[in-house]
Amino acid sequence: MADKDDKAMQVSATPARQPAETERTFTPLVDAYEHGDTVVLEAELPGAVEKDVDITVEKGVLTISAPAQVAEPGEANGGTFRGLAGGRYYRRFALSDEIDRENISASMDSGVLTLKLPKAAQARTRKIEVKS
Amino acid sequence: MALFRWPSAFDPFASLRYMEREMDRLLGRGGFGRDVFAGGYPPVNVFTGPDDIVVQAELAGVSRDDLDISITGDTLEIKGKKESGADEDKVTYRMRERGSGQFSRTIVLPETVDADRIEARLEAGVLTIRLPKAEAAKPKQITVG
Repeated sequence: MADKDDKAMQVSATPARQPAETERTFTPLVDAYEHGDTVVLEAELPGAVEKDVDITVEKGVLTISAPAQVAEPGEANGGTFRGLAGGRYYRRFALSDEIDRENISASMDSGVLTLKLPKAAQARTRKIEVKS
Repeated sequence: MALFRWPSAFDPFASLRYMEREMDRLLGRGGFGRDVFAGGYPPVNVFTGPDDIVVQAELAGVSRDDLDISITGDTLEIKGKKESGADEDKVTYRMRERGSGQFSRTIVLPETVDADRIEARLEAGVLTIRLPKAEAAKPKQITVG
């Protein structure tokens, strides 16, 4: 179930929006794995809309910042049980020098942000042939 | 996002996690354990109004096809499967917090609902189920004669 808006997400170099003092901050759950010459980072941002997700790389630090929105059904419906709330997702990662910072790509699907961080040329695995 | 993650009954670190969560709460951070499936997953909100009950559940990365929502009387059950995005044999994990596997959560609704008119939508990882109340459960105005 891909999001309708399929345009590529932007990774910018300007400082990410910091959570406000009054905002509830959530640390998104993250999976990170290496797949060949790419490091893939998957972050759970349920309730965040693609256009509001802020991804920045600044001085080797990758920051994910996005509003966590819970669309409450309105005044008439009182909260009987509350297990989730709105706020802001915020998490930062230090990138190693292995990562090619210029070519990070991002996409969003069903509340999961996927970042593809390619390894820089010098960090790629090279197969060495043994000459007989 | 989930307000808390309840530690499971067999978790030897339950009290530690509880403390951690309390510390997080005091420091104003989102209290957040690491066990996605400890206790109640998915986290839910239940809202009750004059005409309907709205249930919200956070299911990031769960596809519509892997969801199984059913209702028996006034018991709503959300079942499903959360799959990890990667082909696990071909990748090397560096961080793993999201968790995967089967889940099920049962919610006993506060009122009787009309099972034929229930609507469920999954958007941006948030499931919203709107359950219209049965006629008998709706509030009625009583006039003093």
